[in-house]
Amino acid sequence: MLDGLVLFGRALAGFADPLTLLIIAGACLLGILIGALPGLTATMGVALLTTLTLKMPSDRALLVLVCSYVGAIYGGSRSAILLNIPGTPANAAACLDGHALAQAGLAGRAIGISTTGSVMGTLIGMFFLAVATPWLGEVALKFGAYEFFWLALFGVIISGNLTGNDPLKGWLAGFVGLFIACIGQDPIHAYERFAFDNRDLAGGFQLIPALVGAFGFAEVLTVLAAKTPKPVIHRFDTPLPRIGDVLKHWRTILRSGVIGTFIGVVPGVGEDVASWSSYAAARRASKEPEKYGKGSVEGLMAAETGDNACVPGAIIPVLALAVPGSAPAAVLMAAMIIHGVQPGPLIMVNNPQFVFDVVAMMLYATIGILFFGLALVKPLLKVLQVPREIIMPIVFVLCVIGSYAISQRLFDVWTMLGFGVVGYVLRRYNYPMAPFVLGIVLGDLLDKNLRRGLVLSDGDLTPFFFRPISATLAAICLVTILMNFAAVRRAAHAAYVALTPWRRAA
Amino acid sequence: MADSNPSPRADFLWALAWIAVGAAIFVGGFTMDRLERQNINPYTAPGLVPALLGIGLAALGVFLLARSVRRGGLAAAAVGRAPAGIGRLALALGLCVLYAGGLVGRTLLGWHVPFWFATALFVFVAILAFEWPDRRARGELRRGIVVAAACAVGTAAGVTLVFQEVFLVRLP
Repeated sequence: MLDGLVLFGRALAGFADPLTLLIIAGACLLGILIGALPGLTATMGVALLTTLTLKMPSDRALLVLVCSYVGAIYGGSRSAILLNIPGTPANAAACLDGHALAQAGLAGRAIGISTTGSVMGTLIGMFFLAVATPWLGEVALKFGAYEFFWLALFGVIISGNLTGNDPLKGWLAGFVGLFIACIGQDPIHAYERFAFDNRDLAGGFQLIPALVGAFGFAEVLTVLAAKTPKPVIHRFDTPLPRIGDVLKHWRTILRSGVIGTFIGVVPGVGEDVASWSSYAAARRASKEPEKYGKGSVEGLMAAETGDNACVPGAIIPVLALAVPGSAPAAVLMAAMIIHGVQPGPLIMVNNPQFVFDVVAMMLYATIGILFFGLALVKPLLKVLQVPREIIMPIVFVLCVIGSYAISQRLFDVWTMLGFGVVGYVLRRYNYPMAPFVLGIVLGDLLDKNLRRGLVLSDGDLTPFFFRPISATLAAICLVTILMNFAAVRRAAHAAYVALTPWRRAA
Repeated sequence: MADSNPSPRADFLWALAWIAVGAAIFVGGFTMDRLERQNINPYTAPGLVPALLGIGLAALGVFLLARSVRRGGLAAAAVGRAPAGIGRLALALGLCVLYAGGLVGRTLLGWHVPFWFATALFVFVAILAFEWPDRRARGELRRGIVVAAACAVGTAAGVTLVFQEVFLVRLP
């Protein structure tokens, strides 16, 4: 515990020089702008900024990415409140009550509530990041090939189940991602798989151009294909948060923070599910559920606390297991690897300072969003009014040069184009992108560990199902799949009622 | 953005595609060299995981097929109008592919197209093309051209400066 505080203090002091503070301010502001502009998502922002920060020292580059990630998830609430368009998918729940408040002339108050919720959510998530990462890292040291295989499969199945509204399509997207990760040299024998004698393909697809395509170019196509009307901004009151709102809703803040963080830890699920889950839980526990959707302060607070708490939550499995908790966290993980940081179970052994560096980055990012969120309300309104038709071609130029800059080869630009078109088509037909991305990220882990496990057990499948952690993960995967069948759900409910006689009596 | 409720017919066609893709991946994995000459452990054969993923993909495709058939996916699709925004989508896709695939890093008629020129041209044409109907309706065409030109020059200069001079990237 004391060691952690020392490392955290050292990290805070390390980032406290004027140039770094300036970089933090710029990254937070950029993140808020990216989030606030509908069409620019947090994943796209972090992916583009990864390419822009390649040549920076690794600690500063990762600081920029973390600050912009936190800023983007917060910034998305701005357009949700003012335009009724979520800036990122994570802010969709904020539209319901945030925009209703804005229509009632309380846009400033709604911004204050969303800022307070986001700040509190990030702080709660940051606390768990500091406490849970070392603990999870310790548990992960017990993981072997069998457990890592199940962890990779678990990530794809849970992500496919919870993101989007059709688990079957989520799993299909996840399996396609897993297959894409198999293209190129295999990780054990360096045998070229599905390369068709193409030298570039033999190296496999790089993650960043693929993500820039799937989230950046696909979004450019989506936004340009739809004609957007000129935004209408409602009149404004003061955005300064009221202490009363925080004190009155402390239970909601705490509950949403814990829910958001927990959902962040679950592989590949992400901020939008965290936001909706926090909102639904707050509504169930509320004394005034009828106000939800009609300008409920509590509802907006819950949604915004939940999605921002998810950000540090999603980084916990990145650091401890090398398994991302959300799509932007997947890009962040790729950036860490590019910058020479190896996340995973050994991080607390080899590089414990880095974990607390990330915690300190979160704290600085929180201060950044609090400051810019409240100080730059009017200038941000001007940015929201810039037509998408002007922004998107410029974003596409960044997609092209960003993909190219990593290895300076045109193949990566083609990769970006290809993944962009595939991502656009898949999304049009309701295939979610998060499991697709998670599949690409986790494919290597699944591939290596399935084969290693089979070698270790000499083809015996028993250790895959009967070691304690493997059995737990396998059971969760199976139950997750089976619960999608109505007959299984009915049988489970009947069994539950039969086993709880007090419920039957009620 | 996403078509939240694609028709059963679309799902039916997608399911057939997934089954075909899954089968192709399985065949590719199954017939892949097992490196027996190198005496490797057969459980580490490179095609093992792709073959299993192919089976998984095809199986999920079969589930999707069954579900789409149950929902009426076998019925012939109604002939309808093209989806809204298809023209703008085609324009966006065409311009982006032309820029990234046809101009960046290419030599046309013996002239290597500089990155800054390709970028300026793309940004100018794209902004002008997508703003054209609104600008024309408002009688602001000249202003639209000036805005597009300013954005084009600014983007080309900014991106070239940052990537070439600051990040030392050899631009295509």
